[in-house]
Amino acid sequence: MYACLYASGCNSADLLELALEFSPVAEQTSGDTVVFSIDALRRLLGSPSQIVSELCRVGYQRKLQAHLAITANPDTAVLLARNCPGVTLVNPGEERLKLGPLPLVALFAHGLAIDPDLLQVLHRWGVKTCEDLAALPEQGVAERLGNSGIYLRNLACGTIQRPLRTAGIATSYEERLLLEHPLHLLEPLLFLLGRVLTDLCGRLRSQSRAARLLAAYFELEEKKDYRCELEFPVPLDESRTMLKLLQLHLERHPPEAAVVAFTLCLAPVEPRRVQDGLFLPPTPAPDKLQVTLARIAAMVGKENVGTPRLLNTHRPDALEMTTLAVQPATPIENNNPEILRLAMRLFRPALHARVRVVKYAPKNVVASGVKGNVIQLAGPWKTSGEWWTATSWSREEWDVALDDGALYRIYQESQSREWFVYGVYD
Amino acid sequence: MANIARLRVASELPSIPEESQFISLVPRSLIKIFPKGIARGSIAEIYGPRSSGRLSLCLQILAQATVQSEVCAVIDLYDSFSPVCAASAGVRLEKLVWVRSRGNAEHAIRAADLLLHAGGFGVVLLDLCEANARILNRIPLSYWYRFRRAIEHTPTILLVCADSIQARSCSNNQLQLKPNVFHWAGTALHRLLRGLEVNAILRKGTVVRPESLFLKMSA
Repeated sequence: MYACLYASGCNSADLLELALEFSPVAEQTSGDTVVFSIDALRRLLGSPSQIVSELCRVGYQRKLQAHLAITANPDTAVLLARNCPGVTLVNPGEERLKLGPLPLVALFAHGLAIDPDLLQVLHRWGVKTCEDLAALPEQGVAERLGNSGIYLRNLACGTIQRPLRTAGIATSYEERLLLEHPLHLLEPLLFLLGRVLTDLCGRLRSQSRAARLLAAYFELEEKKDYRCELEFPVPLDESRTMLKLLQLHLERHPPEAAVVAFTLCLAPVEPRRVQDGLFLPPTPAPDKLQVTLARIAAMVGKENVGTPRLLNTHRPDALEMTTLAVQPATPIENNNPEILRLAMRLFRPALHARVRVVKYAPKNVVASGVKGNVIQLAGPWKTSGEWWTATSWSREEWDVALDDGALYRIYQESQSREWFVYGVYD
Repeated sequence: MANIARLRVASELPSIPEESQFISLVPRSLIKIFPKGIARGSIAEIYGPRSSGRLSLCLQILAQATVQSEVCAVIDLYDSFSPVCAASAGVRLEKLVWVRSRGNAEHAIRAADLLLHAGGFGVVLLDLCEANARILNRIPLSYWYRFRRAIEHTPTILLVCADSIQARSCSNNQLQLKPNVFHWAGTALHRLLRGLEVNAILRKGTVVRPESLFLKMSA
């Protein structure tokens, strides 16, 4: 059995508080309507009529003016509470009878996802009340109106059974730990961080959530603060992975003084749900890959690890490093061409060169690791761009084959007239 | 007698190649050189001097792997990898991890070790080209055995690109490249580089006869 309280113009929090006083399972369908289960109250308070009188007594004490309906299913309770003033008590099996006189508009106000044009269709058919709709044959309604029609008919019959949609309990993903004595070393600190992270990740998993961001706030001995934020490319819920990433960060950027307290905070997000294909190539496990890349970044530097992304410009070698986003493999048509493309190995930065020029063409090139006479050449090809920014370039490029057996691209800057070896074809 | 006939001399055992449970990677443009493809869970080496097409061939293999939606990695010893060239060769950059060790060979080897042990990669390219022989000789042979052990029975291919052979007996394929002819178009004043012809010899693998490859200049 379900009870529904409807009070227009009343504070929704008061209404919910009253419902929660009687049952822990309560659904607030709108700001002025609360429906809750009263099955468990029958052993405590007695029959439905006794529950009604108890509800009225508590409502009167709280000075709440509300309409009450008690039925066998929540939707009927809501419909009757909203449309029948006072107290309505319906015995199981009598829902259709009680709902019968209600106008069809009441059903459309209840189900928000129903197409409002359906009401005009039903009116044209001569169906004005719930009783008229309930009298229609189910198969005919399904054929003509589809799922929406079936839902409306079942609503009019009072036969829809569903569980209540209760509001989740707010969970905190923040934890503070005050230490008994200051910690100078990382290892004992990690032990405590691991314990707190395990607790926080347990909370995440219990709510079917994962974390995209870990914020750590350390209170230091000399009244200084140290804050770090780790953003994960994919949502994580494994405390071991988070702890490893935090350890790698703290090893690179240790706090300046001993830690006296710390606070860890996780930003919950929806977890990553992936259905991998049976015949698709495997991809690295995202959590394991993050730890691996963090380890490599700790070794070679964060700016030297990532996925290259080309910038939308003609500037030579214009790119930026981004974080690898591991996506599930997708089948792609194998359009790899059969033509072998000649690639270039770059010198970063370009090698400063001494070039002997005869009749406007380079004859000899000397640079670090590059030395030889020009056998064949092509050029010059003039390129320039972005003259309006600090990254402007203007140069004359040559492809030269040297007598050392290799093929290079060299260029002369237009302003400074200096020569550089840009790369070698390889 | 039937049991005795199955016995083999112990020295022959290492030379018996173990069949991989994964389908080989077959780059369409390199079908002449690798008719059976590059075996998964093995080390393949491509070596030669400058302008021998080492990097071009490596990029073709990476392109083949990335269009099959595999995640690949490039460990770049001297920061010489060009994503522009890779993209024009057909490599899907969003499937690529690029590690630049800025000339530190030890970091490059350790990064390769971490990536191979992480697992899940299609091809890991270790680019040791232009490195001084003194630096490369310092890499212990045991590292290559370690790499081989890390990737065997996995779908990962470790592709080593260098001036000379590095992994020695640990590699399954050793492809030697030599520059042959540079192709130019046009007259002296309006000349254009069209491509590069190289000779490829598979030193270790199925085919031994040399093959000629033409590497076309990108448009």
